[in-house]
Amino acid sequence: MPKITINGQEVEVEEGSTVIEAYKKLDENIAHYCWHPGLSIAGVCRLCMVEVEGHPRLQIACNTTVQDGMVVNNNSEKVRDTVKWGLDFHLINHPLDCPICDQAGECGLQEQYMEYGKYDPEMAERKVKKRKVVDLGPTVVLDSERCILCSRCVRFTEEVTETNELGIFNRGDRSEIGTFKDKPLDNKYSLNTVDICPVGALTSKDFRFRQRVWYLKEADTICTGCSTGCSVKVYYNEEGAWRVKPRHNPDINGYWMCDEGRDVYKFVNKDVRLLTGLQRKDGQNQELPSVDAAKLAGTVVRDELEKDKNGVALVMTGQFTVEETQSLVGTFAGDLGCKQVYHWINNEDSFDSFDGLLLRGDRNPNTKGLEKVLNDQAINNTWADLKQKLESGAIKTLVVAAPENPSLFPDLDEKIALFSKVQNLVWLSAAKNEALDGLNTNVWQVPLKTFIEKSGTYVNFQGKEQPVKAVTTIIEDALTLTEVAGLLKGSDVNVTDEAQKMTSLKYNYFTQKRGNL
Amino acid sequence: MSLVTRPGELSRWYLPGILSGLVFTFKKMVSNIFNKKKMPTLNYPEEQYEYGPRFKGNHVLTVKKDGSLRCTACMLCATNCPAQCITITAAEHEDPTVEKYPISYEIDVLRCVFCGFCEEACPVDAIRMGPEWQTAAISGSEFQYDIRQLAYRPSLQGGVESRVDEQERHSSGI
Ligand code: SF4
Ligand code: SF4
Ligand code: SF4
Ligand code: SF4
Ligand code: FES
Repeated sequence: MPKITINGQEVEVEEGSTVIEAYKKLDENIAHYCWHPGLSIAGVCRLCMVEVEGHPRLQIACNTTVQDGMVVNNNSEKVRDTVKWGLDFHLINHPLDCPICDQAGECGLQEQYMEYGKYDPEMAERKVKKRKVVDLGPTVVLDSERCILCSRCVRFTEEVTETNELGIFNRGDRSEIGTFKDKPLDNKYSLNTVDICPVGALTSKDFRFRQRVWYLKEADTICTGCSTGCSVKVYYNEEGAWRVKPRHNPDINGYWMCDEGRDVYKFVNKDVRLLTGLQRKDGQNQELPSVDAAKLAGTVVRDELEKDKNGVALVMTGQFTVEETQSLVGTFAGDLGCKQVYHWINNEDSFDSFDGLLLRGDRNPNTKGLEKVLNDQAINNTWADLKQKLESGAIKTLVVAAPENPSLFPDLDEKIALFSKVQNLVWLSAAKNEALDGLNTNVWQVPLKTFIEKSGTYVNFQGKEQPVKAVTTIIEDALTLTEVAGLLKGSDVNVTDEAQKMTSLKYNYFTQKRGNL
Repeated sequence: MSLVTRPGELSRWYLPGILSGLVFTFKKMVSNIFNKKKMPTLNYPEEQYEYGPRFKGNHVLTVKKDGSLRCTACMLCATNCPAQCITITAAEHEDPTVEKYPISYEIDVLRCVFCGFCEEACPVDAIRMGPEWQTAAISGSEFQYDIRQLAYRPSLQGGVESRVDEQERHSSGI
């Protein structure tokens, strides 16, 4: 393997890799716009200049292959000066948009300008005006003026999605990104172009103007939108989560994620969540603390089990962590001695489908984990069996660990209609569900935590175990399935909130909300 | 101006102290009755003190030529505010040259420390601090200033025009 010296440090890199990769390996600072590790090399921005000893002229690091014994630097006066003038060219037609630009705060141009620029512009000509707020498709908005023509987005649609919607049109300083007639940017991965755009030219319709990025904290977690389990970062503040972006993971998702996965932040926020425990008894709805709701449900389950061993069943979905699944299924099969545990598969027909890139038909993050737990307990009941028992009235009490993301369960209403044939329904779910408020059965609803509020492990389609940490707390009263399992079997559970420690009250909410006094 | 002269040796004693105080009060009373102009106090609230235009008092949101808000909802003021009393909600404007504007802009003026950092942070001269300084109100919610109060309160007579004009900037090619 060739050894090269970068800014005085020696590093060994793969044969045939480029100088910029060596920089990245050392975590050394280097300016670049057009190079992206997940795309081909374009070499158009001319910002990644380096000085190679023995070469009279500067080279671009992204398109120079390393050779053994190369001595490279990018901190000499000559390099800094070249980058500075390169940057000046990029900024010739760039508008003064930072105040209204969504990228501000995480913008490549701003970063490079703080590092290399800070000069008076020497351009006397007028700026070329281009189209603003161009609707590229259902998810992305383009601002041509801000574009620096790095061509990352074009290469993405060419190489990754192979849909070729984007192209560079016109010539010279009139060049701009655009779509072809009647062919909008509409593919399942389109929002990745927003992530890789180094400036604010491409913005996401969903996130546009909703928050300034510097108000958001980020944390690593995984996407629970399907069984691929892409590594993601979630951006949140004390009000809730605001967006999701992919995180590099060479084994699973590379640099990308799908557009549907970006919606997972929506179902963790307060507006769609079950906020407290609910009891519906004899047609009366009543709110109560979640712990009390779980305890009441536990009493009912245990009473019914005493009356009839086969009158109680548990329905599981693959939406929960391995630890939670283990404790709930373990409680039923072990402590309560009830082996009637069923696996609710929401989409039988498309369950095994795969779109060729990332998205899988199995829209549960932990199907593999659930299957393993059921196997360990030697449970292999079929859904048809449950259906028959529900219809015949053999099962009187049903506990359902319902999906935290109901939008991925198109058969939800149909299943609720089936479940409502029992006398007592215990519904454990993070999501609020109005359909349950009008049922003729007794219902206990217990609010659960969503994937960003709890620590645990998910097993993806490859069988790869992915541990995640709790990020923040959104609903304080919500419980994990493990806690619910403990309460159902009647033991005293010390309800802890791991994430709450991290989000200790920053503001005095009394004075913040004075307007309502 | 010093109103009180240093107490002499005699006034350390009880009666001379009281009496010299009363003499002073009486002298002031007589001079105030016969020479009202020299009186240093104001009959607030009938008479009010006018501060100079650069006084950092109540905030003003400036407007464009057409009377709409100049603010672009960049939230730099809210970011810079040490009291965290500015709350802005941004929205998409139908005019693509404006793009972003605030649908709500609120200052909790009781939290404000009148430091003027918001004014300094603003890139487009959209927020200023004016010479008005009276913040009295009866209920708590009246201290939550909204756009109507900040930009269009009656004393501003239709709004203060911003110095930064987008149209001018565009036509000069920047
Ligand atoms: S792309 Fe970057 S430099 Fe350009 S307006 Fe947006 S934040 Fe500012
Ligand atoms: S829109 Fe963004 S990613 Fe595409 S060429 Fe322009 S700057 Fe590059
Ligand atoms: S004057 Fe200071 S405290 Fe008051 S709103 Fe402005 S920045 Fe905040
Ligand atoms: S007042 Fe100025 S700094 Fe504050 S959001 Fe509006 S434009 Fe930005
Ligand atoms: S990153 Fe090397 S030329 Fe753009």
